[in-house]
Amino acid sequence: MSRAVAIAGVGQTKYLRRHAELSGAELVRQAVLRALRDADIDLDAIGLIVGGVAPDALAGVNHIDLSSIVRPGTPYFRVNTGGATGSSALLAATSWLRAGRCDAALVVALERMGHATTSQKVFNSIFDPIYEKDISLSTISMVAMRATMLMQEQGFTVDHWAGLAAKNSKSAQLNDTLDRPRLFTAADVLASPILAWPIHALEACPMSEGACVAVLMAQPLVGKRKVAWIQGAAGLTDTYAMGDRMRRPQGSLVDLHTLIRSAEKAYSQAGITRPAEQIDCVEIQAPFASAEAMAYLALRLCEARSGPRFADTLIAGTARVAVNPSGGPQAANPVSATALIRIAECALQVRGMAGLRQQDGIRRAVATGQGGATQFSTCVVLGSERP
Amino acid sequence: MADNDLITIPGLWNFQYNYFAGATASRFFNALRHEARIYGTQCAKCGRVLVPARSFCDACFVETQGWIHTGPGGVLEIFTIVATQFPGLPPPPFVIGYVTLDGADTAILNRVEGVDLGDIDVAAKKLMARVRVTAKFSDERQGRITDFVFVPQSPP
Repeated sequence: MSRAVAIAGVGQTKYLRRHAELSGAELVRQAVLRALRDADIDLDAIGLIVGGVAPDALAGVNHIDLSSIVRPGTPYFRVNTGGATGSSALLAATSWLRAGRCDAALVVALERMGHATTSQKVFNSIFDPIYEKDISLSTISMVAMRATMLMQEQGFTVDHWAGLAAKNSKSAQLNDTLDRPRLFTAADVLASPILAWPIHALEACPMSEGACVAVLMAQPLVGKRKVAWIQGAAGLTDTYAMGDRMRRPQGSLVDLHTLIRSAEKAYSQAGITRPAEQIDCVEIQAPFASAEAMAYLALRLCEARSGPRFADTLIAGTARVAVNPSGGPQAANPVSATALIRIAECALQVRGMAGLRQQDGIRRAVATGQGGATQFSTCVVLGSERP
Repeated sequence: MADNDLITIPGLWNFQYNYFAGATASRFFNALRHEARIYGTQCAKCGRVLVPARSFCDACFVETQGWIHTGPGGVLEIFTIVATQFPGLPPPPFVIGYVTLDGADTAILNRVEGVDLGDIDVAAKKLMARVRVTAKFSDERQGRITDFVFVPQSPP
């Protein structure tokens, strides 16, 4: 039987469009010191550091993750699964701890994309250079295309995208990791310029830099600390070509097969059989409203064909489950760190330490990670009770 | 300059590459260029016709067989109308989308032309109906994916 693992501390820098006063390594150090203090542990007790850093070209520094080594002499490796990088790094560290290879680990995620002046051109370079890159695909146009399929197949409308973006901008106002987050209404979203139909400018996540760090501990070390236990954790991959996933026997592109199966596995480990009743809080790695909506059914927060109605309850503020109380990635989406931030936010909620954005009675929270052209999904269940 | 002025140092990544298309994609591109036809390959196990052509089926991890002429007609599955200039990407507005060609089991990405983009919302509403499109080949083909675009079969 493998050992139980918990998140004992988190550290976050502010998430800003650019951190002109701090180098990458300084951002990492700031988040590391906050996380160690939160976990009440010394750096010398850390037996593993996993660096989560996504495409180098966003920072313009090849092997930018070398800034996240933190402590020479400690085992270190890097994980890169695009937008799911932070959560994939946490899954890797969890495996080490469960296997008994160390008792405490740091997961370090750094995003330095403020350096990039042509970020969508950088994102174009993640696509297949033989068949797809020449069609000027970018992450925004990729998400926009999936949104049209959600509208065709599940009945979402442009008003849902605007309403969800406004909902998240309102939640973001209480998040102290952000600096004067944007506040806007659904009407403001619809009045903002179209980036790539159906995405309007205010629906898109802003460029964001920063570092997020989590301290993971195996059960023997936890003691009396107030921790968020990892009750379930799973991640899966899918094929590179989006066109191959359009209509398969297991579902369409927007059914998000990888998240369905990741959630099934994580829920099973956590003993969750009725997700809509047993999960109190969800942080979805969704840089756009349609990406958030794509996860509702995969996470079984709603019934089949009721996604748009579930979105209506979130927009109206009447849903039982809190979805992205931090404001989510639409408020700040530092690509390498964003999936770890979802987990950190869930850990804060479960530990009752989320400050002004704390929700009432959070016993169990679920964080997703989503990366590449939706090649990578992760699902992590955190709870106050030890598994 | 004050001692506490923040310095930024300009940088540029401009590396040159030659991407190897490989034998299968090369044959696909040569057929685009010389025959103005879009070919797929068929998985020996699951029977799916993969377009654009691949040497193996990613789902079954077995080699594909046969060269199957697909299209030129097909269905526009998903699309977007890019309406904002992103630095380093082509000038807007333009439409891109994934099309499942007749005879294919997977969808292929390309530009969609011949759509009136005077009003983006109106154009989008028409394209939401999973319209039929046809591959239209350029006269001077170079053996690249950009040798063809999709156009609606009847003006949407």
